Amino acid sequence: MPSQIVNALVLILLAAGLAIPVGYFVAHWAGWAIFCAGLGLQMLFNFRNFARLDRWSRRPVVDANLEGAGAWDGIFGRLYRHEKELRTLISERDDQIERLFAALQALTDGVVALDLNQHIVYCNTTAEEQLGLVLATDSGQPVVNIVRQPEFVAYLNSGDFERPLILRSERGTERVLSIHVVSYAGNRRLMQIKDVTQSDRLDQMRRDFVANVSHELRTPLTVLAGFLETLQEIDLERDEQHRYLDLMAEQSKRMESIVQDLLTLSSIESAPPPSNDLVDMSTLMDKLRRDAEALSAGRHTIIAESDGLCDLRGSEPELVSAFGNLVANAVRYTPAGGTVRIEWKVTPQGAEYAVEDTGIGIEAKHIPRLTERFYRVDRGRSRDAGGTGLGLAIVKHSLNRHQAQLDIRSTPGVGSRFAAKFPTGRIVRL
Amino acid sequence: MNDTQHLSSQFDDELARLRTHVLQMGGLVETQVSAAIDAYSTGEVASIKTIVETDRKVNELEKAIDDDCAHIIAKRQPTASDLRLILGISKIVTDLERAGDEAKKIAKGVRRIYENGHLPGQYGVGVRHLAEAALTMVRRALDAFARLDTPQAADVIRADTDVDAEFKSIIRQLITHMMEDPRTITTSIEIISIARAIERIGDHAKNVSEQVVFIVEGRDIRHTKEKAQ
Repeated sequence: MPSQIVNALVLILLAAGLAIPVGYFVAHWAGWAIFCAGLGLQMLFNFRNFARLDRWSRRPVVDANLEGAGAWDGIFGRLYRHEKELRTLISERDDQIERLFAALQALTDGVVALDLNQHIVYCNTTAEEQLGLVLATDSGQPVVNIVRQPEFVAYLNSGDFERPLILRSERGTERVLSIHVVSYAGNRRLMQIKDVTQSDRLDQMRRDFVANVSHELRTPLTVLAGFLETLQEIDLERDEQHRYLDLMAEQSKRMESIVQDLLTLSSIESAPPPSNDLVDMSTLMDKLRRDAEALSAGRHTIIAESDGLCDLRGSEPELVSAFGNLVANAVRYTPAGGTVRIEWKVTPQGAEYAVEDTGIGIEAKHIPRLTERFYRVDRGRSRDAGGTGLGLAIVKHSLNRHQAQLDIRSTPGVGSRFAAKFPTGRIVRL
Repeated sequence: MNDTQHLSSQFDDELARLRTHVLQMGGLVETQVSAAIDAYSTGEVASIKTIVETDRKVNELEKAIDDDCAHIIAKRQPTASDLRLILGISKIVTDLERAGDEAKKIAKGVRRIYENGHLPGQYGVGVRHLAEAALTMVRRALDAFARLDTPQAADVIRADTDVDAEFKSIIRQLITHMMEDPRTITTSIEIISIARAIERIGDHAKNVSEQVVFIVEGRDIRHTKEKAQ
């Protein structure tokens, strides 16, 4: 700073030094004119720099051309550096914020940040999808304007967030969401949304299972108890007694087979991986055909086809029971005169065991649930046919243990095709 | 939402609160309608009772919102877009309340069908589809109101034609069915009144959307061929 004052003084003195002799020797006004011109020049010089600074300050850019002359250079330089540092800082912060948002986006749970008035500040795409929000238009909007379900509104207004709210989302596909609210930055609220559709369905299955087991066992038990009571209290003829005892035996056998199937299922579930024995498929196919013929007693046409190209590796008893079960189902649900076709063939993905029938078929809505325990398409009919309701559940489990997929296709009134698809790792080429 | 700034932000708060109340009422109506559809498919009489109870809440909210509208007009003397918002809201709540009433009618019809030991049977699918279309209309109309989104409102208005067409085809089917087998007449008439109620819900959703266009653009597109852009 002092050097600049000295600079200015030197220039003034220079002007004066030139003006005084001229004023003394030539004319007063000429001296003054020269002095004023000197000062004016200096002012013009300052004004030019001032104008540049003024222009720049209106639209500050980091521009290396921003240079002042003389005393102004320092000011311009410092401004330039300051501006540049600021810009770097801002862009660093921007990057940081962007990365944080990217992290929020990457979460598989939905996140919605609310402000003090429960207006939406931010939400990630998962939350947009789960709740039907659109961040671009909905930020700044009260969240309850979009998520209007009364139970959600009541939960948010209650202020009691100890337990998460289980909400059935009604937009598009039906989903079950678990919404957890936590406080952040004072009294602001952050909503975490988990999709619990899957576990909700599992819960439902578990509840159904317990209810079904009890029901399935109680029915024969009621019959048994009823007959026992009759036998105890009434003296019956020998014939009648025999008839009752036969019926009781039938029911107890039924209970036994349910318990047996349940035990099989639980032993499959908890068993170690299946053994890797070589299963001779041509013998097995032969056996399956003979079993089917015995069960059908000549009412159906049974065809067994094998391309004879490969055998299978796995636990023989499990596979025999699974394959046999599919065949037995096909025979049971195909009216007399129908055809049951058993196939074993190599496919591009591995190998496939399939049982195709011309039976009553299954409606599409039942197919995804067929392998659930005790799931019945038609309660009366399947029990008459002697099923326990566990057969396909066991088949599916056994096949899964052999990395095989159970593929079910069916057209009501035309027939069904149950195929077990084994991966290449399970087959042995002959 | 409003570009124009008010001198008193308290007024803004009042308007925002009013909108939220309308949407809360809409939420109740949405649940009513969806519960009515579920009752139709499952025949659960328990949910019918909650629908009737929710209706009471809807009615109370309608009265409260109307009161608020009157208050705001008296106290703030709103003009331009604020006035349109309040006029629109007072019409929207009427439509919402009526949609709720229709849901109640559905619930009662369902109860009669199941109490007589009949099942909606083969019309289950068609009516359910119609009901889902109407419910989507209500939901999207309310979304359009929340976001003041006129293109969406225009979509809802267009969707009403589809719902009307679907309603007519259900009626035709039912008439054929009744002529073939007069024993089904009682159930069929119940189903017709249910389908009618669903179609009315669609109409109310359309009216709400028309009000949204009015609020945003100041154009009254009711009873005109002019479509919202």
